[in-house]
Amino acid sequence: MSNPASINGGSAVAMVGKDCVAIACDLRLGNQSLGVANNFEKVFQFGHVFLGLTGLATDVITLNETFRFKTNLYKMREERDIEPETFANLVSTSLYEKRFGPYFVGPIVAGINSKTNQPFICSFDSIGCIDYSKDFAVVGTASDQLYGMCEGLYEPNLSPDDLFETISQALLNANDRDALSGWGAAVYIITKDKISKRYLKSRQD
Amino acid sequence: MNGINVDINHLKKGEVNLGTSIMAVKFDGGVILGADSRTTTGAYIANRVTDKLTQVHGTVWCCRSGSAADTQAVADIVKYHLELYEAQHGAPPTTKIAASLFQELCYNNKDALTAGIICAGYDDKEKGAIYSIPIGGSIHKQEYAIAGSGSTFIYGYCNKNFKSNMTRDETVEFIKTSLSQAIKWDGSSGGVIRMVVLTASGVERLVFYPEDYVNA
Repeated sequence: MSNPASINGGSAVAMVGKDCVAIACDLRLGNQSLGVANNFEKVFQFGHVFLGLTGLATDVITLNETFRFKTNLYKMREERDIEPETFANLVSTSLYEKRFGPYFVGPIVAGINSKTNQPFICSFDSIGCIDYSKDFAVVGTASDQLYGMCEGLYEPNLSPDDLFETISQALLNANDRDALSGWGAAVYIITKDKISKRYLKSRQD
Repeated sequence: MNGINVDINHLKKGEVNLGTSIMAVKFDGGVILGADSRTTTGAYIANRVTDKLTQVHGTVWCCRSGSAADTQAVADIVKYHLELYEAQHGAPPTTKIAASLFQELCYNNKDALTAGIICAGYDDKEKGAIYSIPIGGSIHKQEYAIAGSGSTFIYGYCNKNFKSNMTRDETVEFIKTSLSQAIKWDGSSGGVIRMVVLTASGVERLVFYPEDYVNA
């Protein structure tokens, strides 16, 4: 009963392709070694911006609700949906506010800017430091494994279909080496005009 | 401090854990041992195809759980003693003797060891026999035994579904279904299901992959 980031388990990854981005997560929620839920999704949507949240499940739920609240008010005031870059800064400030009593989460933002059509991904630490990336972003209890898988499988300018295959293999095989991640997976492929969501068949051990 | 205190954070730094689901079941022809194949270092799966079913003599085998190093060392020592026993007595040792040796090592070194062992075998005297030796070094003769972190999830299932004198195939299905559930719920268990069938005819190894057991 020590590290809040590895009580519930879970992992997420995002990748940049040619005029597209992908974001994916596992579906496991556990209590240390006991698996409790196989339908605990960790990717949330706010307009055309996607947020992956791993870590302590209570904080994942709370932050989802917090960002839903903040982006709803943003939309009312700005009369437009929030862009990925702006949302990333919103995440950063929200987390740093809790600098000395943080949320135990590993966030990833992914999306395509609706004005510039630029794909965008980034990750953060639990206190809001933004880590911009042009290729991939990884978080969760299988992050070490995901680093290895992504570094090995990733190449730039993948088409949406190829990006789907690549991100899926990176997530599945990383999860299979982590006792606290897995029990299914959900993959989002995001392009300018279309968002597709697919569930992956994975090992159930 | 009053009473008995058990330290569950028992692994030394860097030690690998056979966080595990193991069992042994007696049937009409002998015994069958079963185990998952996952070894973890913390949450990292260090080995996903581990063999936790270890031979200590002919048709006397054991299922290992706890510290990988401790159980390998203990099993090696027992194997040595049993080989010597056969040389000196001219007859193979019984399962009871092997279990007694396990107990002596596990009890006398209880402060240093983290080993949960199920010793099971077939000999002509007792036919099939199963001895459970949990942490602490006590010994328990049973018709069937379950152990390891994953066993906690199948106490109810096994209690309800075990029958004495099942056939070989019934026993294989019972172990497959039981370990399938243990693997499903326990993060420290997984991989393939290995089994070893011990009868008068000798030793038979079996492997079952996720496709075969996920819906058992």
